[in-house]
Amino acid sequence: MTSVASIFRSIAMIGSVIAFLVVLANPLHAAEPRRGGSLVYAYLSGPGTLDPHVASSLVELEVIHHIFEPLVAIDGNYNARPVLASKIDTNADATVFTFTLRKGVKFHNGKEMNSADVLASFERYRKVSPNASVLADVEGFEAPDPLTFVIRLKKPNAVFVDVLKSPVYPFEILPAEQKDKAAREIDIIGTGPFMLGEWVKDSHLVIKRFDAYVPDDSAPGPDGLAGRRTAYLDQVRYNFVPEANARVAALQTGNADVIGDVPRDLAKRFEAQANIKTQQIFPYCMQVFVVNTQAALTNNPLIRQAIEAVVNVEDITGAMGQISRPGHSLVYASSPYYQGDAMKPYYDQRNPAKAKALLKQAGYNGEKIVLQTNSNYPNFRDAILVLSEQMKDAGMNVAVDIVDWTTNASNMQRGTGVWNVSTTGYCSNPLLGPQQWKVMIYTFPHVKDDQVLDTAYDKFYASLDPKQRIAAWADIEKRVLDQAYMIKIADMGTMRSFNAAKVANFEPYYIVHFWDVWLK
Amino acid sequence: MTDVMLAVTPPQMLAKRRRFRVLRKLAAHRSFKIGLVLVTILVLCAIIGPMLTGIDPTAMSIRSRFKPPSVRFPFGSDQYGRDILTRVLHGGRLSLSLGLSVALISGVFGALIGVTAGYFRAIDPYVMRLMDALMAFPAILLAIGIGAALGAQASSIVVALSVAYVPRTARIVRASVLVIREMEYLQAARVSGAGDLHIIVKHVLPNCLGPLIVQLTFIFAYAILAEAALSFLGIGPPPPTPSWGNIIAEGRDYSVEAWWVMLFPGLAVSLAALGMNLLGDGLRDVLDPRLKIET
Amino acid sequence: MFRAIIVRLMQSIPVLLLVAVLSFILMHLLPGDPAVVIAGADATPAAVERIRRELGLDQPIWEQLLSWFLGLAQGKFGSSLVLNQTVLSAVAERLPVTLSLAALSLTITLPIGITLGILAAYFRSSWIDAGVMMIALIGVSVPSFWIAILSVILFSVTLGWVPSSGYAPLLTAGPGPWFASLIQPAMVLSLFQIGFLARMTRSAMLDVLDQDFIRTARAKGVSEWRTVGKHGFRNALVAVVTVSGIILSLLIGGSVVVEQVFALPGIGRLVVQGIMARDYPLIQGTMLLFGFAFVLINVAVDIIYTLVDPRVRYD
Repeated sequence: MTSVASIFRSIAMIGSVIAFLVVLANPLHAAEPRRGGSLVYAYLSGPGTLDPHVASSLVELEVIHHIFEPLVAIDGNYNARPVLASKIDTNADATVFTFTLRKGVKFHNGKEMNSADVLASFERYRKVSPNASVLADVEGFEAPDPLTFVIRLKKPNAVFVDVLKSPVYPFEILPAEQKDKAAREIDIIGTGPFMLGEWVKDSHLVIKRFDAYVPDDSAPGPDGLAGRRTAYLDQVRYNFVPEANARVAALQTGNADVIGDVPRDLAKRFEAQANIKTQQIFPYCMQVFVVNTQAALTNNPLIRQAIEAVVNVEDITGAMGQISRPGHSLVYASSPYYQGDAMKPYYDQRNPAKAKALLKQAGYNGEKIVLQTNSNYPNFRDAILVLSEQMKDAGMNVAVDIVDWTTNASNMQRGTGVWNVSTTGYCSNPLLGPQQWKVMIYTFPHVKDDQVLDTAYDKFYASLDPKQRIAAWADIEKRVLDQAYMIKIADMGTMRSFNAAKVANFEPYYIVHFWDVWLK
Repeated sequence: MTDVMLAVTPPQMLAKRRRFRVLRKLAAHRSFKIGLVLVTILVLCAIIGPMLTGIDPTAMSIRSRFKPPSVRFPFGSDQYGRDILTRVLHGGRLSLSLGLSVALISGVFGALIGVTAGYFRAIDPYVMRLMDALMAFPAILLAIGIGAALGAQASSIVVALSVAYVPRTARIVRASVLVIREMEYLQAARVSGAGDLHIIVKHVLPNCLGPLIVQLTFIFAYAILAEAALSFLGIGPPPPTPSWGNIIAEGRDYSVEAWWVMLFPGLAVSLAALGMNLLGDGLRDVLDPRLKIET
Repeated sequence: MFRAIIVRLMQSIPVLLLVAVLSFILMHLLPGDPAVVIAGADATPAAVERIRRELGLDQPIWEQLLSWFLGLAQGKFGSSLVLNQTVLSAVAERLPVTLSLAALSLTITLPIGITLGILAAYFRSSWIDAGVMMIALIGVSVPSFWIAILSVILFSVTLGWVPSSGYAPLLTAGPGPWFASLIQPAMVLSLFQIGFLARMTRSAMLDVLDQDFIRTARAKGVSEWRTVGKHGFRNALVAVVTVSGIILSLLIGGSVVVEQVFALPGIGRLVVQGIMARDYPLIQGTMLLFGFAFVLINVAVDIIYTLVDPRVRYD
């Protein structure tokens, strides 16, 4: 990987050809973009903070990626693509990364962005971000000239650029004077195509077009969170509407132009309204059962495997109010890390007989297995309730414990509380691959002293050859599924509906965005 | 608020004649009769109903998801293909016993605290300050906090709602006690050497009973409604065990496509609350016609 | 009377202290960790620990209580853990919404509730009485969120009369949108209050109509309108004042649910979300403010009581 930039260039070329074909094929895109107007987007809740270095929830990221920009971001295929950088050079042993910055990029306060801002942002990130551990191997940051930024690592990291592209806890560049601001206390000033307008907590948030925005001219058009992004709309208003019924009603009555998180069964209400179009967004998040390896009973791999054996995916997804597709892997089929059918045997086994045999072997004697979930996310509740019935059928003694999301999340994160199995969704991790998965694979199931897993991850980071990294991931994924640290449920999608008579060029992407969207 | 002014029930002893008169009056009271019939039907359904259908209320059949009302599913089925009728019947068990528990617990503790505060004037200010402090929290918020603290179980909802309603009950009982303790016959009993316990049990308690019972029927109704509201906010009795509140809460996203999921438990809650309120009205008219109810 | 008010307010100090301690204990009893909420689900355990330290959550519980009290003594209500706002500004931002909702709801409730109550009492035991009381009973028996959801489907989606969700501020959006955004939630909220008030008014009126001075007035040939209107209304007022504290408390309780359904950024949603996020300072501060409000309202009710009912003296 001597010059990542050349790879980017070729991808960009292919991308532009595809974009051209799409333009030809789709008459909707042929319509001239129009500047101006205001769009209303209704989503279930609002951001807690817009400080990108500490932001991890989708509601926050949906706003943040309009306002701020990182050095590299994910493109339409979730690969790294430079944004504020124009070129990235990596030395031969993957320890020195040199970023050449784009010239003339302006912050919302009018100041020009340079390497001092980048350096300050990275130092701040190291201080405040919950994700700062990914910078643990950094030996130093340097800004030798205004348009050059260098990161030196203590040991090789072949996927360091991929680490930096993360849309979660994004490495967004802030003006240098924000350097010493504590977490969540920055002024919301970025280089993105939109800037923050009014923000009333629990009610709404407005972003306005930033007219002095300097787009990335190297690309023909937008590409994921990167590329040449253009703000046509004067402003976008995010309304926070927790009840699905109310969001649907808002779109039907014209109080909203776009709505997110439409439950599967509610989308049928739009059938009578021709102007309302619904998008199914795949990939979005993956839902898995998380098995607590430190709790009594499930500290025994046999019992974990017994639980894995009873899972009947169709019944689980059938009960869930969200769209989904079966999928046996922890990465998507489009990913270079995808292992074909190798992980299939662990998935959707529907085998109570096998489970009974495993339980017998484990000496299970009707002890209570606790399934914990929360009442805030219906999908999680649905999956746990159906799993509990499936486990009962295999002779397990199951107790379902429903708590609120904070208790549930705290328990998963810190290993507190009494629970054997819980469930959660992972969005960025499967999209971005092994480096993004690592924290989650270890944290939620509370994996300790697993030599196989540790060795495989060491190999992953040290391998400069992509093939070896893919092989390392095969070991990791196999270990996770074989030990049933996590049990894959399905690839979940999400539905967004919009008023097609008014909104043009609304692209389905896992993080909703309003650049390059215009009103007819 | 100023202590409620109560017209005092005449200090008769619980003579047989009086009891008969109360029963006769109740039997003639229209809303009491309607309430009684409603509540009896619902209670019977909750007790006997589940035995009659013989279906497991948590048994799922994903293939019969969201079936409209039919012979097989008289009230339709929900997103897991579970029979709503069965769930409403079972839910009645949980919701009604939850309401009853809250009413009984607030009744016992409310009476205990109210009588103590009203009778032993020395500790009155301290006890009532504590009650005031509890009343400063709107009942639903107190219940949300306690419910979240104790974990999502039906029992923590009972505790939460009881804590919310005890102070209100205690105030009503205390107000009656304050009036009763000044009555002449009570002074007479004291002069003749009767102990405090004797006086409380024999004279004070029986005379607070009327207002207390009336109050408890209303608390029963509020508790059923509060359970539904808490379920809606995600802190009601946890699924899969059905309660009227959590059936409605689970069905709320499908209020148009599968209206039956929300409609039937909603009607059950409303009818139960209506029945208890009617019952309470009747009891109030008969036991204490000029009682001003506080909640 | 001023002395009495001062004494009353002084007496409420221990109540407020109790409220403070109770809300502190209650919040800290909750399982779940605000540091996890703040860090986000993807954080490493080390990062969560660091946030716990930064927030002082690793300190012994009594030290946290002490430092909160020390802050209160200096008039500091503290800052929210997740909103990046002080407790006072968070409450101040949302108060207009809840107050608007409560005011509109009261405006609907008072005339309708009192009128219904008087009508029912005057036409006692007639079909009017039965009908009115049935409406009132249904009002206090139907779960409000259930009605709210049904109402959105009817009035917002099917008929398209009013918006289904959101709040339009009076000052920036103007009275029209403000009213449109609140009328539906206010009606839903009023349903229970109307039922409650009508029942209270009816029983208060029945007391009066049986009394001698009404019979005397009628016998003297004073017009029926005047008799019932004057004395009836006066007594209805007493009933309203008696229950106004309760009605306000019910309004706040009811608004928690209604604000959720209609996505109104009011106090109720603030508190529910604060509890969900384990935002200790926010909930403790808000509860204390509720306590203040409760005490003040009760004192005010007592004062108004003496004004409308000369039989009661304030002491």
